[in-house]
Amino acid sequence: MPHRMFLPAPSAIAGAVLTLVICGPLRAAESSVDFASQIAPILQRHCVRCHSPDNSEGGISLETIDDLMSGDYVVPGVPEASGLLELVTPQDDSPAAMPKDAAPLGAGDVALLGRWIAQGATWPRDIVVKERSMADASWWAFQPIDVPDKSSPKSPSTIDGLIRAKLAEHQLRISPPADRRTLIRRVSFDLVGLPPAPDEVEAFVNDPDPQAYEKLVDRLLASPHYGERYARHWLDLAHYADTHGFERDMRRDTAWRYRDYVIESFNDDKPYDRFLQEQVAGDVLWPDDDQAVVATGFLSAGPWDYVGHVETKSAQLRRSARALDLDDMTTQVMATTMALTVNCARCHDHKLDPISQREYYQLQSVFAGLEREERLVSQSALQDYETQQQRLIARRDEIDFQLRRLEGDGIDLADIVGGGNGSMTGAFRQGIDPRTAKVQTRDFGKLGNVVTNRFSESEFEFVDGVFIPDGDGGRAEIPVSSTGVTIRGLPSTSGNAWDMIRNGPVASQHSPALDGIDFTQGGRSVLGLHANAGITFDVAAIGRQLMGATDAGTQATTAPLRFTALLGYFGAAGSHHADVWVFADGLKLAEFRNLKRDDGLQSIDLQLAPSVRFLTLVATDGGNGFSHDQIGFGDPRIRCNTPRQSTDAQTRRIAALRSARKHVTAELDTLGPPPRFYGVVASAEVPEVRLLSRGDPESATGDALAPAALSALAMLDPKLGTPQTGDGQRRAALARWITDTRNPLTRRVIVNRLWHWHFGQGLVDTPSDFGFGGSRPSHPELLDWLAEELVRHDWSLKAMHRLILTSRTYRQSSHVSERSGQLDESAMRIDADNRLLWRQNPRRLEAEAIRDAVLFASGNLNLRRGGPGFEDFDYQDAYAPIYTYKPADDASLWRRSIYRFIVRTTPDRFLTTLDCPDPANMTPKRITTTTPLQSLALYNNDFMLRQARYFARRVEREAGVDVAKQVERAFRLALARSPSDREAKLAGEFVSRESLFALCRSLFNLNEFVYVD
Amino acid sequence: MSINDSRHRIPVAAHGSRREFLRSAAGGIGSLALSAMLAGESHAGLHHAAKAKRVIQIFCPGGMSQVDTFDYKPELARRDGTPFDSDGTLQFFASKPGNCRGSHWKFRRHGQSGLWISDLFPRLATCIDDMAFLYSMHSKTALHGPGCFMMNTGFTLPGFPSMGSWVTYGLGSEADDLPAFVVLPDPRGLPPGGIINWGAGFLPAQYQATTLDTTDPRHPIADLFPPRGFTEVTPRSDRAGLNFLQQLNQLHRETRPANTELEARIKAYEMAARLQLSAPEATDLSQETQSIQELYQTEHPDVGPFGKQCLLARRLVQRGVRFVQIYCGAENTTAKKIRPNWDSHEDLPRDHGYWGAVLDGGASALLKDLKQQGMLDETLVICTTEFGRQPASQGKGFGRDHNAGAFTAWMAGGGIKGGVGFGATDELGFKAIESPTYSYDLHATAMHLLGIDHTRLTYYHNGIERRLTDVHGHVIQDVLA
Repeated sequence: MPHRMFLPAPSAIAGAVLTLVICGPLRAAESSVDFASQIAPILQRHCVRCHSPDNSEGGISLETIDDLMSGDYVVPGVPEASGLLELVTPQDDSPAAMPKDAAPLGAGDVALLGRWIAQGATWPRDIVVKERSMADASWWAFQPIDVPDKSSPKSPSTIDGLIRAKLAEHQLRISPPADRRTLIRRVSFDLVGLPPAPDEVEAFVNDPDPQAYEKLVDRLLASPHYGERYARHWLDLAHYADTHGFERDMRRDTAWRYRDYVIESFNDDKPYDRFLQEQVAGDVLWPDDDQAVVATGFLSAGPWDYVGHVETKSAQLRRSARALDLDDMTTQVMATTMALTVNCARCHDHKLDPISQREYYQLQSVFAGLEREERLVSQSALQDYETQQQRLIARRDEIDFQLRRLEGDGIDLADIVGGGNGSMTGAFRQGIDPRTAKVQTRDFGKLGNVVTNRFSESEFEFVDGVFIPDGDGGRAEIPVSSTGVTIRGLPSTSGNAWDMIRNGPVASQHSPALDGIDFTQGGRSVLGLHANAGITFDVAAIGRQLMGATDAGTQATTAPLRFTALLGYFGAAGSHHADVWVFADGLKLAEFRNLKRDDGLQSIDLQLAPSVRFLTLVATDGGNGFSHDQIGFGDPRIRCNTPRQSTDAQTRRIAALRSARKHVTAELDTLGPPPRFYGVVASAEVPEVRLLSRGDPESATGDALAPAALSALAMLDPKLGTPQTGDGQRRAALARWITDTRNPLTRRVIVNRLWHWHFGQGLVDTPSDFGFGGSRPSHPELLDWLAEELVRHDWSLKAMHRLILTSRTYRQSSHVSERSGQLDESAMRIDADNRLLWRQNPRRLEAEAIRDAVLFASGNLNLRRGGPGFEDFDYQDAYAPIYTYKPADDASLWRRSIYRFIVRTTPDRFLTTLDCPDPANMTPKRITTTTPLQSLALYNNDFMLRQARYFARRVEREAGVDVAKQVERAFRLALARSPSDREAKLAGEFVSRESLFALCRSLFNLNEFVYVD
Repeated sequence: MSINDSRHRIPVAAHGSRREFLRSAAGGIGSLALSAMLAGESHAGLHHAAKAKRVIQIFCPGGMSQVDTFDYKPELARRDGTPFDSDGTLQFFASKPGNCRGSHWKFRRHGQSGLWISDLFPRLATCIDDMAFLYSMHSKTALHGPGCFMMNTGFTLPGFPSMGSWVTYGLGSEADDLPAFVVLPDPRGLPPGGIINWGAGFLPAQYQATTLDTTDPRHPIADLFPPRGFTEVTPRSDRAGLNFLQQLNQLHRETRPANTELEARIKAYEMAARLQLSAPEATDLSQETQSIQELYQTEHPDVGPFGKQCLLARRLVQRGVRFVQIYCGAENTTAKKIRPNWDSHEDLPRDHGYWGAVLDGGASALLKDLKQQGMLDETLVICTTEFGRQPASQGKGFGRDHNAGAFTAWMAGGGIKGGVGFGATDELGFKAIESPTYSYDLHATAMHLLGIDHTRLTYYHNGIERRLTDVHGHVIQDVLA
């Protein structure tokens, strides 16, 4: 591919020739100049880089003749009047004005230009001169994998053989092997992202088996934490996060399923080709395989602008957002799988690599039928899920009925508000909207669109409905039931309402505790009812449930019931106060006026006559504004009037039921939320894709493009379909093209990534750019050999890990050895960057690994796997949601960092400081910086100090009070080794002088803690 | 961590061969890791002589109306009440256009230059001869998030480094005991798009901004000191712990002489201790005189919070901070009585009225103070928003919808010619028509004044040598002194 020009159609060439003939050679003595073969290459080589429509730098464009003519740069037939010639000709002793900052035109070229102008400056209309990319199809990365013939005796075809051969060329040698202690720490962080436990270290160091290291590698590869470690690497490439990003950074509550898919795929050693196929087109290729469907979460993992796609009314703004969306998908797929920077061809042909702008849009058209959306994994998955869930819930309800019968504990009204059955099954803090009776899980503030004294019926069986009261000075008749029951005599209110009626505290509640009782702890409950709001329960239905369970239906509804609760004002102390009312079938049973925080808890125990159908609870604002009026009914229960005596047999039965309930609850917990995930959905018809001139979504030009891959890979057919091909077939075709064994890039790219993850530096040290702008492979033969091994091992990544990790090259020491000082000095001189790998690279842990290692040492690491991410922030639902980080002092927040709920607009500051990258970017390579802010974070951050405290307690628990033993234990937990004599002495003195806590805090800050040799 | 007894200074980038040495010694990994820390290492040096040494940028998120502030449009006033889009073809961000609506404030000429400015800014009007206005700004988007990203990073997508990060990457800092790039967010909250508006994007993390929390003067930087309530830690034990830590680090390092990142990390702890001294001092506004406090209206209930940020910005640049960004407005969070930023869809007189007084007070005080202190010449002050607003009202109300087609930014000090305007919008202020200019030119101009050629400050990322100005940008010569 010598030139990158748009060659004219034959008829145009004929026209051009004809023109030449008519205009005639003015200076007959000279042979006629051919524009396409003689002039265009000059312009292409010297001019169009700056002088093109894509580049405003040069002011004019030399892609066509228009600008040259209009600016008198070229006056046909008159070279003397043509500014172009003057610009490229050296004047007197000063060099030519053009090209700027580049090699001047040769005298021959200048002469040719002169003759061309003299001969009439013919420029066939169809010839557009385009800048040529730096690399063409002969670029190394596009060539087939080249592995020397096996029979060749001189090919040293092992990792070590190839590395040593290259070192030898530079008179360098591989370093001595690292000792076992170093090795186990290195390979543990490398494969599972965690340090080795002290007993694992001792076992390995003392293992007499010569295969001890191989066994260790196998053990770590089999660990479920391997997938957690490698998923982190992969999610860096997918720029995964759990929110949309941009202005309205909304939650993606089901994105985690893709994260778990990646973890499991690594753990299962899913063949890498299949792994890629699933992520590009799993929903099409294996629609019945839920995991393959979830895999397409890859395509939707990046940021997405809700305002640009949905909220704005402007079609132009939507087109613009959509263009960027498709670019994101296209770029991610090609960069991750093949390390190609196709996005550089969005506005113009790729300047470095042989990728035309047209090809870019053909690739983009592969994804043009997709939208990012939360979706069902599949209908059948949902059915399975619901069947399972119903079975478990039925079982749990059955147990609850039994328990209630035996315990006489009654039905919890707060739990019912949370959508439960009255016995700890409701969702904590779920609420009912007092305006509409709709179920809400998010926090609200002051409610808009309030209509007072309007009753809204609830869909819950035991809740009749809700309302927002305004008594209008006692005059208003307020409907409080679906059957038309009303109440009168309530005072006037502000008519305002705040948040929902909740199973738990309301939004911004001052405290969930009153009189020393925290109603969110220890099996207690609270019905949160911020003034002004009212709720009516269907007591008759509740009674039927209760009695039905008690006495198998006989005289069910006539048994008397009681309503018990601990009522209180949960808002702040001060002058704020509110009023609370309880009604039965519209008749007032109790009222509490001017209730304040200082009044503490009010014990309620009200008899309900057998005929009562509705129980109504009302909170009103007391006429002094509704702020702070957070009323709560603690442990609100409807129970049978006659408590039962319990016998031993009953007590045993209760214990058995409780244990059965625990079991069922755990199963329900494992079942988790419904099988939905954040992925992509295809439209029935793929919208047409045309080339966007200069990447502008408003400047679509040319025909609708057929999906196609890149022609630069000569061994493969780039055709992926026609403009009529449906979405599924487009993606399936691309997936096959990417994973075709003849595709040399896909294999080279993944083995290079593995190498990068194991050595901190790839053989190509730009792991997502194998083009001209990236770097060249340090060991091309090794790269191809590994790529070939991958296929020989049926695309098994674990096999490749094994190959790399058991090599001498990997196992060598990272120290610059002092024994052979001479050699090492020369190594530093010859290859300071260690591209030749004469030693292993020492590496600093990534932010996530530091956090995990801290939790590991403190003994707090919660190894719970999978499921929704942990949220170490308070979430506030606003126009633009607000995420406020809080101290992570809770076991549920001590899970591995891979399970973090990742917020795009509000990244975790602690981790960002430690170089955790912004998930807006695809990150093939982590950057390491060293800053004072990192020192402050590790030394002073709340999380670090608390963990240091736990670490100290653990050490004391495990080592006792002897300081020397404490020091020994602390070193082993933090650094996987014993202290040296000198360290032991210093540390011992330090602990005696300061504290064990101070030692633990310092250990977390050591260079050795965050570096791996 | 606590304060080091000896406050000795470590020369940053003392010897020329340092980087080379580090690159070779660091084993090839993270060869940037040793670049200076608080100060940041210079990656550009100066391409030419600089006029400005530092930058204070005021960002007004939400979209400031040009036609009510700096861009005088008498024709719009004449057409007030007549249909703006008579054939009904236009569709704005959130609405169809209503009628033309003249400025809600009267415009007057001010200063020697006689430039126009509306009565919304009576104090800034007295500084007009120091300000250069870019009347023909426009944006590629009318969405807040992407718009803020574009004005801050040159791209409408998240993930790109902000101007402050680029400048820090290029020039490092003058101070070795304060961060080079500081952001002072609006006390009400974050701007649209959040923290990543001042992120380092793909640049190494040391070029990201440090946020100063001015509501807690003793604790202005996160983790500067241990959180209150940790009884185990005292300044004395902090110091002892640090000494012990460094002892162990030295022992560790002795056996690994080739890894100079280890030395850098030891230094980082020393620098952190210095920051503990300098940051609280820099943020202590009580050291300022009464008249300065009054100038910035620090006690004013509305203007005060922003006035304090402006005063703090001056203190920071005085102490060698390279780039300070101040936010005048937050995100569109739960709308209270006044919108929390300039995004005036329903009631522009109310919201611009409020924010206008805030900006007018703080920014004018800053310009005057810098001038009094003789610092304005070397301090570039920039005031921007992410896009403008429509000359038509939004529907029948008193607001205006988003307008990517035109807005005004202004610059002052640091090599800027005062009392000039650049470019122009059409007669209604709907579209920039004379020398339309994107963020690129503003960024190119700012970089130029700082001694940087914007085309030559680059960083390789995923296949591209990236720049703040993408492939665009021209220095706006007309506003240079």
